[in-house]
Amino acid sequence: METAKLVQTSSSKRIQVFVLDNLIWAIMIVLFIIFSLTIPNFFTILNIHFMFYDASAIGMLVFAQALILISGNMDLSVARNAGLTAMFIGMLVRVWAVGVIPTWAGIILMPLFGGVLGAVNGVLVGKVKINPFLATLATFLIYDWMTYVINEGAINNLGKALDFPGGGTIFGLHFAIVVLVGVCAILYYVLQHTRFGSYLRAIGGNPEAAGMLGINLTAMNFWVFTIAGVLGGTAGLLYTGYLRTIPSTIASGDAIFLSFAGAIIGGVSLRGGEGSIIGALGGVLLLGLIDTGTTMTSVAPALRGVINGLILLLAILINKSRVDLRDRILMPRNAQ
Amino acid sequence: MANKQTEDGGGSGDRGVPLIRFENIGKYYGTVHALRSVSFAVAPGECVGFIGDNGAGKSTLIKIVSGVTPKSSGSIYWKGEEVEVASVKTARKLGIETVYQDRAVVGSMSVAENIFMGRELMRPFLGVFPRLDKKRMREEAGRLVVDLKLNIPSPDHLVRFCSGGEMQGVAISRAMHFRASLVILDEPTTALAVSGAQQVLNFIRRLKEEGIACIFVTHNLHDVYEVADRFIVMFQGEVVADIKRSETTVEGLIDLQLARKSKGA
Repeated sequence: METAKLVQTSSSKRIQVFVLDNLIWAIMIVLFIIFSLTIPNFFTILNIHFMFYDASAIGMLVFAQALILISGNMDLSVARNAGLTAMFIGMLVRVWAVGVIPTWAGIILMPLFGGVLGAVNGVLVGKVKINPFLATLATFLIYDWMTYVINEGAINNLGKALDFPGGGTIFGLHFAIVVLVGVCAILYYVLQHTRFGSYLRAIGGNPEAAGMLGINLTAMNFWVFTIAGVLGGTAGLLYTGYLRTIPSTIASGDAIFLSFAGAIIGGVSLRGGEGSIIGALGGVLLLGLIDTGTTMTSVAPALRGVINGLILLLAILINKSRVDLRDRILMPRNAQ
Repeated sequence: MANKQTEDGGGSGDRGVPLIRFENIGKYYGTVHALRSVSFAVAPGECVGFIGDNGAGKSTLIKIVSGVTPKSSGSIYWKGEEVEVASVKTARKLGIETVYQDRAVVGSMSVAENIFMGRELMRPFLGVFPRLDKKRMREEAGRLVVDLKLNIPSPDHLVRFCSGGEMQGVAISRAMHFRASLVILDEPTTALAVSGAQQVLNFIRRLKEEGIACIFVTHNLHDVYEVADRFIVMFQGEVVADIKRSETTVEGLIDLQLARKSKGA
């Protein structure tokens, strides 16, 4: 009798919630089928492979933004962190310390340097307690223009090793895709199965309560921005290999906005405390799918940007009703 | 006067060593003297009503015991030994759990996650990495939910779907699971409808059955009179009365506050 009291969530409810929670994948499959049927040569292994590859670098930025949003923060600087990291480490191994530091060391140095840039945000938000929007607006401007201060041109001839993570293949598969899936798996584990992940959702959901329960908000904010920075640096590394050069415009333009768009399309809430890394992966792949589809139908680049904006708006509307519907399903009938 | 009250407070410890004893606790906020030499004791398993009007110093003392604010002077004795409650973690380690209405729960997380927040049950993963033991936490949370007769369908239920009374039930489950010796309830019934308040009073009765002492902080004398064994009446940072339930009535408690008030004014 008493145990029966605990299993009231019926299986039909659970199926409904499962569908709602994975709506992004359903939308993607439908869109994929539509593209496959209407666009010639869309449904080829090569094309699908490229779609994933194209999503890898931006994927790192979306993952970073998803973690940041789940923790109740935002990071305007993470894309320019990728740009400055690539430029700084590129100059280090190709110009300033050429012959001293081998170019392949950039593979390790980029995520580390990105982590340092992220830690700056972490100190500003966690320790100095500056509003995350303002703190990262300042670092965005600094990182953005620092890239041009360092070098107004491009760095070329980076060497096979440094190009490999973003441009190389392994058994015919782009290594960047391995990075995308690997990072996704690690972050999924951290968010779902570790104390850190649980605290991240707690400080995003209700920082006051988290503090009362003894969770160290300063440390949590510091580490989440630092991890976002490492992911930003990794994005810089993947862009480097993807482009096989480091222009000063690397990871600029709408990369930062796409990091928000991908996370939000994937169901991560701006309110904090809610969202999943698998959803964020769905968000970035959906953006990649639409990008590939519009490229293949030779939609003008400017129009493609407009389409991205419309997709984001649509996703926000869908998510809004999705959350309302989910609440209605889960809300107990006897609630006051 | 103050000395006499101290002796009275000490007198209630005649069941042996008091669980917690406050001796001449003082607290300044800048130049504001929030607490002046507060002394009283709570015996193991005893439920003490800590009452007084706004500004009497109730919440200041609560913050000191739960490790949120340091005291300016005086000593706290826990089971006979002097202790410094330097942080929330220290308080919890001693066995002091504070229930701050519905404020110390994360609405976007499940009942089970909330109960174990900050003290998660872990199990090793691949032999080395500690990993959340979700299964065990869910089972434990389920047991607590049934024990406290909470109207919650499952431990996976999100806390934001809970009523105000149930949210406090979630917080009280923490005390039950981690076998706290003392639970401090900060205005637990104030924001609730009558049915919610009754639910919370039942939680407190359940705590008493478990032999867990509690300090029920409130200015709602009717609610606290139903469950407390003894009352400490505060006025302007001082203890003005320490009286057993059998020696007073709700009206008597009101008079205690009012009489002192008219004298003070």
